[in-house]
Amino acid sequence: MSVRPTQTFHPAAWIVWATCAGFVAFVTTDPVYLVLLIAVSWFVHASNRATTASDRSFRVFLIAGLVALVLRTSLAFLGAVVPSIGAVTSATIAFAFLEGLRLATILVVFGTFNAVTDPFGLVRMAPRRFHEPALAAALALSIAPRTIASVGDVREAQRLRGLPVSGLRSLPSLAVPVLERGMEEASTLAESMDARGHGRGRRSRYRPQRWSVAAIAVAATAVVAAAAFLSASIAGWGGLHPATAPIAWPQGDPRLLVAIALLATPGFLRTDGAP
Amino acid sequence: MTAGAIRYEGVSFTYPDAERPALTDVGVALPEGTFALAAGPTGAGKSTFLRAANGLVPHFTGGRFSGRVTTGGRDTLEHAPRALADVIAFVPQDPAASFVVDRVEDELAYGMENLGVDATHMRRRVEEMLDLLDLAALRDRSVRTISGGEQQRVAIAAALAAGPRILILDEPTSQLDPQGAEDVMAALQRLVHDHGMTVVLAEHRLERVAGWVDLALGFDRGRVRAGDPSSVLRELGVGPPVARLGRLIGWDPAPLTVRAARRAARSLQLVAPPAHGTSSNGDGRLLAEAKGLTVRYDGRPALRDIDLRVHAGEIVTVMGRNGAGKSTLLGALAGVRDPAAGTVTVKGRTPRPGVDAALCPQDPDRILFTDSVRAEVDATLHARGDVGPADPWLERLGIAELAEHHPRDLSAGQRLLVATAATAATDAPLLLLDEPTRGLDPDAKTRLVRFLRARAADGLAAIVATHDVELAAAVGTRVVMLGAGEIVADGDPGSVLGDSYVFAPQMTRVFGPGWLTPEQVAAAIA
Amino acid sequence: MNVAVETPRVDPVVRPPWLARAPRVRTGLLVVANLLGLAAFFWPFVVPSLVRASDENHGGDGPWILVALAAILLALLFLELGRGGLGPKTVALLGVLGAAMVALRLPGFVAGFSAMFIVVLIAGNAFGPSFGFLLGAVGTFASGLFLGGLGPWLPFQMVAVGWVGAGAGLLPHGNGWTARIAWLAGYGIASGYAFGMIMGLWFWPFLTDGSPLAWSPTAGAAMNLRHYLAFYAVDAFVWDSFRAVGNAVLVVVVGRPLLGALDRAARRMRLDVI
Repeated sequence: MSVRPTQTFHPAAWIVWATCAGFVAFVTTDPVYLVLLIAVSWFVHASNRATTASDRSFRVFLIAGLVALVLRTSLAFLGAVVPSIGAVTSATIAFAFLEGLRLATILVVFGTFNAVTDPFGLVRMAPRRFHEPALAAALALSIAPRTIASVGDVREAQRLRGLPVSGLRSLPSLAVPVLERGMEEASTLAESMDARGHGRGRRSRYRPQRWSVAAIAVAATAVVAAAAFLSASIAGWGGLHPATAPIAWPQGDPRLLVAIALLATPGFLRTDGAP
Repeated sequence: MTAGAIRYEGVSFTYPDAERPALTDVGVALPEGTFALAAGPTGAGKSTFLRAANGLVPHFTGGRFSGRVTTGGRDTLEHAPRALADVIAFVPQDPAASFVVDRVEDELAYGMENLGVDATHMRRRVEEMLDLLDLAALRDRSVRTISGGEQQRVAIAAALAAGPRILILDEPTSQLDPQGAEDVMAALQRLVHDHGMTVVLAEHRLERVAGWVDLALGFDRGRVRAGDPSSVLRELGVGPPVARLGRLIGWDPAPLTVRAARRAARSLQLVAPPAHGTSSNGDGRLLAEAKGLTVRYDGRPALRDIDLRVHAGEIVTVMGRNGAGKSTLLGALAGVRDPAAGTVTVKGRTPRPGVDAALCPQDPDRILFTDSVRAEVDATLHARGDVGPADPWLERLGIAELAEHHPRDLSAGQRLLVATAATAATDAPLLLLDEPTRGLDPDAKTRLVRFLRARAADGLAAIVATHDVELAAAVGTRVVMLGAGEIVADGDPGSVLGDSYVFAPQMTRVFGPGWLTPEQVAAAIA
Repeated sequence: MNVAVETPRVDPVVRPPWLARAPRVRTGLLVVANLLGLAAFFWPFVVPSLVRASDENHGGDGPWILVALAAILLALLFLELGRGGLGPKTVALLGVLGAAMVALRLPGFVAGFSAMFIVVLIAGNAFGPSFGFLLGAVGTFASGLFLGGLGPWLPFQMVAVGWVGAGAGLLPHGNGWTARIAWLAGYGIASGYAFGMIMGLWFWPFLTDGSPLAWSPTAGAAMNLRHYLAFYAVDAFVWDSFRAVGNAVLVVVVGRPLLGALDRAARRMRLDVI
């Protein structure tokens, strides 16, 4: 966490983007839309990723997506082993594959979201009423590396004092000092917060994050894309769910293909050095 | 304002479940613009006194409180700490644990956000604070990754940003090296002199602070006496080495700074020449050896080509600024830092951690995990299959009477003695102590020194990493100075410390190389 | 002047008078909100029979609705629990213990087991159901932020871990340590499975292929429940057993010293256990 990701657009714009992209992936099982959405997501990630660490987290989501796809598809083969579950046909396999692909797409979309947002920026965005829980989460986030280091320190210190440091029986000698130190810190922290006026009721905000034109564009295009798919879903047009029995070649509706392309907006816009 | 910044009137306070009061009938008035030092042994009430100034005592602690504390004209019983945040600021002992936000700049703004200061004003104040404490270069850094001295300055800036006129600090230099401490004290003095702030701090290391303050509060079992620093410290029987010397040879008033002592010393005639070249090799048996030792962290060398031989009966102090490689050297000698090059041996073989070499960590809470002092030593003994009693170990550190106490109920100094006992109980021939002086009052320090000397007399060796030049002068038979991972000096304390600007003890600064302790000087006076 | 006064209560909570007079009403509200939340999570069993004939295209909307419900429930519970301000002590403790959850979630998972749960179980048991819920939710959120694991499942996960913590706070403490640890270990096993069942609900309605493991928007509650149990047995039972057993083992090994440490800290910080 020592390398601070640079915030690109207002985090709320990213939340809108991810929710809308996730929704699009959700309402369709058409592989044409889904594959295009994965490509768009990848593009957005590549042009906005914040740090190498977030690159890693994106890869984890990518792998999780692949695993989900394989698992979901293999679940369809379960019918061959456990006959009561149902017969294995090309239709059930195709259906399972498409559902798996949908899940994988959602994971890739959120992988992008996680890779491009600054966690502290997200927490700062919390509405006033949720200031305290959000502050607690931000604290947990910023204290966590210290806690992780503390586990290592305590382990080494006990070893240097001649105690065993592996096995279940060594756990109390490791867990108690880590927790005790944590509680000590909590006490200091609470005192410091109180002494600095936490909870006086009136709060102002230092350097509030501002919406740039680019961020508004990101959010607006994402909403348009989601609205297109919503109306397609309601009106039943565009063939959101290709037939699997018998398997039919999916046909992408140009209107919906454009809608997905709109989701690539954050990849094209230059970020304007947000706060 | 004539009312004074802080006024204590007949204040008594007892913590919940405590047998005796922490403060007894305290009456003190601190005028505006005071730079005050709270001094006295651990448990005498310093910390309670400081916390009462902004209402943390009793609002945070509970307990029985009587009398009245008025801060900035407000009664602290009627005002919770948060309601005093605009008049008084508090910096706790461990600033790293007090940070609320992750970024330096945001941390400075946090207090003002709570007070509802408007955005433009806030922006200006943050910039001012960054300048005032020389933090502009750190504004975008995480508060978790900057150095200890920088953290201390950030904590002070964050406390002051909301505009209070009173600043309270609990042991602000305890985690700093001499230069870091100097920087913080200079910053505080600037606040007092140039901005009329009232600053009150508690500190054990009197040599670092006594010369800066203009008022001292002497604490003795809950009672407080305010007065000029020289006389208050004399009454307490404590003080920086120059003051102790002054008392030994009857200077009145006893000097508090090297400068004052030097002036007073002009008339002195010292007969005995300063001790030089008396570096002791113990009884001469080689116990531990590092040869061409290099240790790397993330590819960067933390130690470079170190050659060090430690003999039975030696007490070696390792000094150097933060980050010079002291802890790494101890870790390597204990067998938990793998050499990138060179070798480390203890008794002729690669050291087994906790067997050949044992290390007592800087923070005793890192290893204390049981619910009594005795059980803590027993845990070490059992781990090596020793069924003997813990008592001899407790007696050696003078903590036998604490055997049934919960370690958490003890003071920081007492906890360090417990951790030392638990570490020493490994019976490792080489005992390593990492910065054992944090929160250590003079009494506990004396016990520790006595213990180390007794071990040395038994033919065991100890290596002590410390910033505390006075401890090094008092206990070390040898001083090793590290700089950027290399040994820059190695020899007897007189010549090594005497040769240093930063690490010279006060006696050296007054009388020149070779003079280390007040006792030594007093004995040499014609 | 020298009149001894008992310390004024810290963190005065501002409440409407009728609530201040009737703290039970507040507790009642919380219980009702949680029950409604639980009912909402079992939406896949309840709703299909109501909208049996609805457009098949909307069959897959279940998870989204569920996520929205979880988020709303979460917001309501946070508002209610944080009414009048959590105060610095609670926020600081949530931060520190949440950090411990993040730290333990990193290395410590074997199948469904994660060492993170020990923090929620112990802290919930020591500081009560409200704190347990807040810690479960906040710690899960923080670890999602830290590990880059934010997604639509997050509100669901937050509520589920929060409930684990709240449940630990409702356990009887019994007489002495043995009883307290036994209760908590047993609860560790039960909550290990319950957590998996609740989390499975978020994922399960994705499965709509008409097999006997799948969710069917047109089937009745009983049929869907059978399907879900079959799905759970195939998909998650073994996985969740690691969590259940791991929870119990950790409670037995470190429960007592950790609870001791938290109890002491609570006394030192004068924490009001609610």
